[in-house]
Amino acid sequence: METRKRLIVLFLLPAGLVYLAFFLIPAVWALYYSLFDWSGFSENMVFVGLGNFNQLLHDPTFMMSLENTLVILVVGGVIIFALAFVLTVLVNSGIKGKKLFRAMIFLPNVVATIALTTLWAFIYNPRFGVLNSLFARIGWKAGAAFTFTSIDHIFWAMLVALIFMQVGFYLILLMAGMDKIPEEYYEAARLEGASQWQMFISISVPLLWDVIAVGMVLYSIFALKVFEFPYAFNQIWPPPQLYTVGIYLFIEGFGKRVPIYRLGYATAIGVVLQLIVLVIVLVLRRGMRREVFQY
Amino acid sequence: MTSETLSANDAQRWQRRADLIKKRISHVPAYLVLGGWSLVTLFMFVWVILASLKTNKELYTDVWALPTKLHFENYTKALFTVNLGGFFINSLVVVLPAVLMILVLSAPASYILSRKKFRGSNLIMMIFVAGIGIPVPLLFIPLFVILTALKINNTLFGLGVLYVALALPFTVFMLTGFFGSLPPELEEAATIDGASDFQVFFSVMLPLATPGLITATIFNFINIWNEYQLALVFLNDPKLSTLSLGLYSLTNAMQYTGDWTGLMAGVVIVMVPTIILYIILSERMISGITMGAVKS
Repeated sequence: METRKRLIVLFLLPAGLVYLAFFLIPAVWALYYSLFDWSGFSENMVFVGLGNFNQLLHDPTFMMSLENTLVILVVGGVIIFALAFVLTVLVNSGIKGKKLFRAMIFLPNVVATIALTTLWAFIYNPRFGVLNSLFARIGWKAGAAFTFTSIDHIFWAMLVALIFMQVGFYLILLMAGMDKIPEEYYEAARLEGASQWQMFISISVPLLWDVIAVGMVLYSIFALKVFEFPYAFNQIWPPPQLYTVGIYLFIEGFGKRVPIYRLGYATAIGVVLQLIVLVIVLVLRRGMRREVFQY
Repeated sequence: MTSETLSANDAQRWQRRADLIKKRISHVPAYLVLGGWSLVTLFMFVWVILASLKTNKELYTDVWALPTKLHFENYTKALFTVNLGGFFINSLVVVLPAVLMILVLSAPASYILSRKKFRGSNLIMMIFVAGIGIPVPLLFIPLFVILTALKINNTLFGLGVLYVALALPFTVFMLTGFFGSLPPELEEAATIDGASDFQVFFSVMLPLATPGLITATIFNFINIWNEYQLALVFLNDPKLSTLSLGLYSLTNAMQYTGDWTGLMAGVVIVMVPTIILYIILSERMISGITMGAVKS
């Protein structure tokens, strides 16, 4: 048994130490920093208690970034899951080329975010972009004059692009879950004369419940910490209309044209973000808990 | 054979054919939607490649036209003048060792956590997986302090260390799923034959787990190759840029240069390695990404 113990320590320790030092400890340490007014030089750290959090509540830019993040979470999430479900049913409806379609729809997930945002900037470009020039060609004047990247529209233009990228991931997740459902269930239902839709609602959804729950948790975490896609979407500095909580944290901490280094304040934003993740994951796990289906 | 049975056979045949046609027709919407979606995706990428071979003047005049001549100089300019070539090498220098290190750390840990349960192993597993729920921006400032104290901030090594640490939760999640799905018989047989735990791991379990390890490695390679968020925070020296970060800087500069076709060449250069991997290994990748999430 001694060697067993040695094996466990030897195999777990290296990963555990790296994880602790560069992930867990910094995460806990962030709680401490969030209580200070601090510009990066330790002698200037001023303890302000929950002052940063209080200030956040009255910070309109923070509220805007929070709102944007929640829209990505809820609106984006609902559309992504709806689309992923529809596509899963279509891909599984007995057609040919199932794997090819799946691979094509998943493709954007393997491409660098910065490449995708550049590609979309090209699509949306008001001067020579793909969409505007298409509208001009078919003679739709209002469409041709529409500016997708104006301050009023850029967030929604970004969300459409983000949804297009993400659907493939949830498609493969749902399909993997579907593959685990025994074919006999559907055969039996078909013999009873069930329609595609009935089979979907009364066989697929209940048996996929665990997968759906995992997918929703993964999407929530992704949406709440999303940074790269909206940050690069405007190509140059993102306007506040594109701020997410993660972006605002970065801007306050490091990233203005004139850096401001409000490190304590920025970390407080991160702590709020962590709390939101915790609450949403707990709510989802509570809400999604159901009797386990055996099959 | 009487004529009656013949006609019955005929009726049956017609019925079958009608069913088949009905089935075909019912598939039309699926083909339209999936085909349309796939075509839009394909079209976007083909378009970028075409744009990267045009001159800016051609692009501005008519974005729908094909290039008149293939202007490969966009690529030489992107690789050497803008130095995406150098950034490409920086990316390789960070990503390859990081991906290897993730494997070295997480494969043994995942093996223990999924197959050698001990008191507290579930708790350790939970702590590892909890990292998936920690938003990376929360860590920016503490990590900045730690890397500065270790004098590895603004270095490719420091960035690589972060990539390793931050990939551990999901990789452990994936690999425990994979190790857990392996049949126990071989492990037991090897133990009965007198193999030590170390031998069982290295000569039985690791070879069996190779498909899972490859999948995890490709998954991590693609993620780290593509990411620019951490590079943006932790690399200040433009010479050290990774490829994604370099492309980000290029999109910024584009506002002044207006060089869209050069930028498109950059986009293609960033995409090529991951798309090649994907073309070769898409099936394995797709099945692998879900292997932690969808447990049987």
